[in-house]
Amino acid sequence: VATTKTRRDQQTEADRRLPHDELKHTLYLLKLCRYFDERMETLYRQGKLPGAIYSGRGQEGTHVGVVLPLQPEDSLFPTHRDLSAQIAKGLDLKRVMAQYWGRIDGYTRGRDGNSHIGDWFGNRTWTVMSHLPIAYPVAVGAAWAYQRRGDPHVAMAICGDGATSNGRWHEALNWSAIHRLPVVWVVNNNGYAYSTPNELEISVPTIAERGAAYGIPGVRVDGADVVEVEAAAREAVERARSGGGPTLLESVSLRWKGHAGHDPAKYVPKELLERYMEQKDPVKNFEQRMLAEQVVSADDVKALEERIEREFQEGYDFAQASPFPEPEDHAKGLWVEDGYWTSEPGRGGPTEYS
Amino acid sequence: MAQQVKVAAGAAGHGAEPRGKRTEDGQATYLVAIAEGLWEEMERDERVFMLGEDIGVYGGAFKVTEGFLDRFGRERVIDTPIAEETIVGMAVGAAMEGFRPVAEFQYSDFMTSGFDEISTALARVHYRSGVPLPVVLRGPSGGMVRASSFHSINPEPWFSYSGGIKIMCPAFPADAKGLIKSAIRDDNPCMFLEHKWIYRRIREQVSEDPDFLVPIGKADVKRGGDDVSIVTYGAMVHRALEAADALAEDGVSAEVVDLRTVHPLDEETVLRSIEKTSRAVVLSESYRFVGIGAEVASTIAEKAFQHLDAPVVRLAPPNVPVPFSPTLEDAFLPGVDDIVAEVQKLSAW
Repeated sequence: VATTKTRRDQQTEADRRLPHDELKHTLYLLKLCRYFDERMETLYRQGKLPGAIYSGRGQEGTHVGVVLPLQPEDSLFPTHRDLSAQIAKGLDLKRVMAQYWGRIDGYTRGRDGNSHIGDWFGNRTWTVMSHLPIAYPVAVGAAWAYQRRGDPHVAMAICGDGATSNGRWHEALNWSAIHRLPVVWVVNNNGYAYSTPNELEISVPTIAERGAAYGIPGVRVDGADVVEVEAAAREAVERARSGGGPTLLESVSLRWKGHAGHDPAKYVPKELLERYMEQKDPVKNFEQRMLAEQVVSADDVKALEERIEREFQEGYDFAQASPFPEPEDHAKGLWVEDGYWTSEPGRGGPTEYS
Repeated sequence: MAQQVKVAAGAAGHGAEPRGKRTEDGQATYLVAIAEGLWEEMERDERVFMLGEDIGVYGGAFKVTEGFLDRFGRERVIDTPIAEETIVGMAVGAAMEGFRPVAEFQYSDFMTSGFDEISTALARVHYRSGVPLPVVLRGPSGGMVRASSFHSINPEPWFSYSGGIKIMCPAFPADAKGLIKSAIRDDNPCMFLEHKWIYRRIREQVSEDPDFLVPIGKADVKRGGDDVSIVTYGAMVHRALEAADALAEDGVSAEVVDLRTVHPLDEETVLRSIEKTSRAVVLSESYRFVGIGAEVASTIAEKAFQHLDAPVVRLAPPNVPVPFSPTLEDAFLPGVDDIVAEVQKLSAW
């Protein structure tokens, strides 16, 4: 029988398990992702950023928390909203920004933009696609490969609440449960599928309880609390790694911004948004806690902020200096044998090509 | 040369009967040739595995994979739920991890149940990320067996449009064996469409060399001729050859070009034929409007205009669901008489 519960009872234990440098790193990631999200939105609104942005603001606790327990060889299959999770998994900010500006040094060499990004050979992250949840079935295949080879690796897929309405979501959970595959199914429930609220997309009170339909554990956590998310994700990852099969992990938050940069999200009740921003800010909450528990000092926080600003600026400068792709290359790279992706190794494209 | 054998199967060519084996003199049916190709590649490369509905215990709806489970085991011959999106997606994920999946669809009609994972995921991963996907999707296609609307589709135009998928529609056992082996060894996504009318009806000598391959993307002139080119693929190749025999009796020499691969298209072989004959009938079982034939005809019109003595003619079914009743399906599909009539009209130019 699936369990649906919060994990507040385990927080203290999780705190004890995370050493101080890991907590500091967690704070760095949370603040980096928030800063990146805010700065990119500003550049977008100033007309300095081409293409689209899909803000993940307010959901950093989910994005960072679920990725922390993953090892480098574990794979991550996120969506467009989950750039923070990709950054936490190890994407290079310079190449992320080159991607946003359509440059050759982006991970897709300008073939895609914004958070439709990934670096499979570098850090086992899926190059995001818009169709939802298109990567859920793909994660089944990766998890199957680990099981077949006896590798101690885990696949993790992330989608939003909206994508759980799609048939593929159910296909993938069912298939993974039949074969007890080493996979963690994360749902970033931020309340809205574009403008459509939970009550018009989900027929049961929680998404986590849907785990029962597949005979897998379903866990619901507070996405504003990165420690709670991390503890639940760690348990799920360890279950998968030890042969215990898949887990459905629902992390609840609110989408602070619109679906994309153009959407003012007026359909989100103002008082709900204000309450979340005031009480459920995963970055602010964690920072205050780390200060209160003296894991970091005010000077530490200031140093982190300076580091983040510097890294953002370096990424921005790198992106602006990176050349645009050659126009005549627009049809290359469709077939493996045309050699496009193995040309100029290290410049754009996969970190390694195997 | 291939010879036609009497069909031993049920109406739609499938059922509980075993796939059989080669004749004593070494001839293989199309179905047996495909099974051999799959078997040899499974033996050759441990990374190759198969997945699909009822391919294991039952041996597949058409019995192509009969006996595979016993030889290769459940880890490499996987019976799946009826979940086509995940069949394709699972293959994509396994390929990203270094495996070489071969996914069977019971009928290629059901590829549309996995459309998004095929046309969005499978076809676009490499162009956007440089990650090779050595995935083969295979399944029986085409009509002529009274299987009606949901078991007779020719899906090749849909997936040719996707871009990043190589699509093969062989007409002969040897080509089928050589192409399925090439597809499995190819590092790109491949779709291998097996015409179900041909499965048990056509047999010929087929190489037993484990490295016998037919190149992907190469057409083949199945019958030489001087007066007109019939450019076609799949089961229509056999109708074209029959028509060419009939035309020869009237003194018309027809060349039959078998595309074998529809995407990417072997323009060179097609254009060389038109250069010689100056007349073209483009014959396909995929629909007339936006079908494979439309693409071939426009390529000829665009690139061989100076060699043409007559308009390029398309012969293909109308864009309606494949009908069941024999009178309807026979009228729907281009017949030998239709081909002969079109060629005679062209000869008048």
